Amino acid sequence: MTAAPRPSPDEDDRLEAAERRWRQDVLDPALARTGQRQEAFRTQQLHWPVQDVYTPRDLEAIGFDYLKDLGFPGEFPYTRGTTPGGYRQDFWKMLQVTGFGTAKDSSERWSKMLEQGLNGFIIEYDLPTTNGYDSDHPLAEGEVARAGTAIDTLPDMVQALDLPWDKLQHLNSVCNAPQPVNLAMILAALEEKGIDPASFTLQMSNAILIEYTCVGRYIYPPKHGLRIATDCIEYTIRNCPNWIPITVVSAQIYAARANPVQELAFGFSIAMEYLDATLERGFDIDEVAPYWSFVTGLEMDFMEAVSKLRAYRKIWARLMKERYGARKPESMELRLISSPGTTGLTLQQPLNNIARLAIQMLACAAGGGAYAITTPLHDEAHALPTEEAVRTGIAVQHIVAHETGIADTVDPFAGAYMLEVMTKRMEDEVMAEIEKIDAMGGALAAIEAGYFQKELARSQRARFSEIEDGVRKQVGVNHLVDPDEDRAIEVFKLGQEAERKQVDQLTRIRRDRDEEMVAKALERVREAAMGDENLVPPILDAVKALATQGEICDVMRDVFGVYHPDSLTSGV
Amino acid sequence: MAERKIRVLLAKLGLDSHTVGVTVIAQSLRDAGMEVIYTGLRQTPDMVVQAALQEDVDVIGISSLSGAQMQHIPKVLDKLREEEIDDKLVVVGGVIPDEDADSLLASGVDRVFTMGAKTSEIAEFIREWWDEQQSSHASVSSEGA
Repeated sequence: MTAAPRPSPDEDDRLEAAERRWRQDVLDPALARTGQRQEAFRTQQLHWPVQDVYTPRDLEAIGFDYLKDLGFPGEFPYTRGTTPGGYRQDFWKMLQVTGFGTAKDSSERWSKMLEQGLNGFIIEYDLPTTNGYDSDHPLAEGEVARAGTAIDTLPDMVQALDLPWDKLQHLNSVCNAPQPVNLAMILAALEEKGIDPASFTLQMSNAILIEYTCVGRYIYPPKHGLRIATDCIEYTIRNCPNWIPITVVSAQIYAARANPVQELAFGFSIAMEYLDATLERGFDIDEVAPYWSFVTGLEMDFMEAVSKLRAYRKIWARLMKERYGARKPESMELRLISSPGTTGLTLQQPLNNIARLAIQMLACAAGGGAYAITTPLHDEAHALPTEEAVRTGIAVQHIVAHETGIADTVDPFAGAYMLEVMTKRMEDEVMAEIEKIDAMGGALAAIEAGYFQKELARSQRARFSEIEDGVRKQVGVNHLVDPDEDRAIEVFKLGQEAERKQVDQLTRIRRDRDEEMVAKALERVREAAMGDENLVPPILDAVKALATQGEICDVMRDVFGVYHPDSLTSGV
Repeated sequence: MAERKIRVLLAKLGLDSHTVGVTVIAQSLRDAGMEVIYTGLRQTPDMVVQAALQEDVDVIGISSLSGAQMQHIPKVLDKLREEEIDDKLVVVGGVIPDEDADSLLASGVDRVFTMGAKTSEIAEFIREWWDEQQSSHASVSSEGA
């Protein structure tokens, strides 16, 4: 499909007359016979009215301009994609989010996934690791090695990165609050293994502000979280220029049931908070903007999803060019990972989730532009995914890529009247919400005031009510329900063995290390934290001295304090 | 005298930070006329039981999505017994595999709501329990009279 040329006034009159005739002579009599399925039609999450038909007159009404609103792929405003050839050049990178057990358990699973057809993966750490606690901390009991892999010390990371490096192109590490420790451990592990950091791309989440918004794995108060994140960004840009030090995972905001407008507006506002903090350290916008990356979530409303992906690229390009005065194309080209299955997978009738994932994956490919797509898994609503679910997830990626033809043209739905109307409206509403957040003083101020948290709580309640009240149908949940459904499904099981092994290894390392060296290294971290020196170099030394993740974070807890949300900022 | 509101403590244990479920439940129970006290994240079983005592709640709702439910929840039940306040209604919600749900029920949890449970169903369950309590108290006091 290509965009319709803008109609001339004469043509517009002809179209209006033709539509009037069609409604009167064709549509109305048909509806008089059958009626409509429902009185009004709306999009699923934004509840925008959906018209019965869209025509070129709708494009005229929004002032749609092919060159201004679409242009060509690989050029401003990048609505049609950030690369000229889109997926004709190459498919997206195929990733999965995973991690469980000890470092050894995970590196075995990751190696297998790379052999099975993925280009990379997203490391998920267990809750003690992402919260900056060691595996033997009292709060860690029962959580060690469970919802991700456990990393206490450098030897754990060395073991985790025991991978087929010839197959790995992309590694994404999701560790926000203790990000400098995580970065230091990866750097030290690569050094120990003799792997050149330039031989692959490491993408770090490092978007701590999202944790205060909805995920909850924060440690220090937000302004200190921002400083630590900015230290990692600065260090990485200067020392590992092919790595990506900041990823705003707006998918997490979406998973917390934000609507697409909130997802983009909150995500961009958070991204700009980091950008401003980095620019304050003396960088030029074109030196840093190309490093910003995003992960977006997708759900089942196909048109909302596709228009969101297109608006995402267009808004970033505009923000960089118009607000920050970026000049280099790379600064305006959104680096995006799409993440289907963020919400909307059901516990009931779990095999239906394979169909849902395929549709969402198709929306990712149709919306184009994502340089990577993560495969979600159909049994995630139950427990940690089974190996069969991992394999099926990979297959869904390859089915969409190789069997549907969707990737053979760039931005295949461009010019579709409804899609262009929705893309423009998405852009306008996101920009309006960003301006509202600007007026509050930006994302940090909005989080400190509890604005994001309150808006999300409202949105969550509304989304759940729609399903409960049956306003929105979900197969297996409130439609085609099987009252005798046996919800038994093969569930991946992890015994207590991993936790015991992890704690044993930690105890052994603590016993055998040079305590004096550890104490000195931790003291250096404290000095850096108290001043404004970049924290990564002293943390790197501490990691090499075998200081643990929890010990390093404790020093910073001591200096920065610990964040305790109140009733306003918790969202509850 | 106005009827006393049912007081519900909603708790998150350990390092589980998934709060969507607990946020939605908090709002729906408030909408259903109950008083909701939320512990916030990173609570130990002891902290939860102490909060239940201090706030004098009738119901303890534990939300769990990280998979560590079997580590923490039995300890909450033990502590409730130690403190002799095991007459509270204890409900659990979240991602709970069937066999864990069975063990939790066996160790004293009154009801496990897994994903897909309706918020109205949870509120109704609490309300029915409460009404039953009230009527049994009323019959005890009328027998006493």
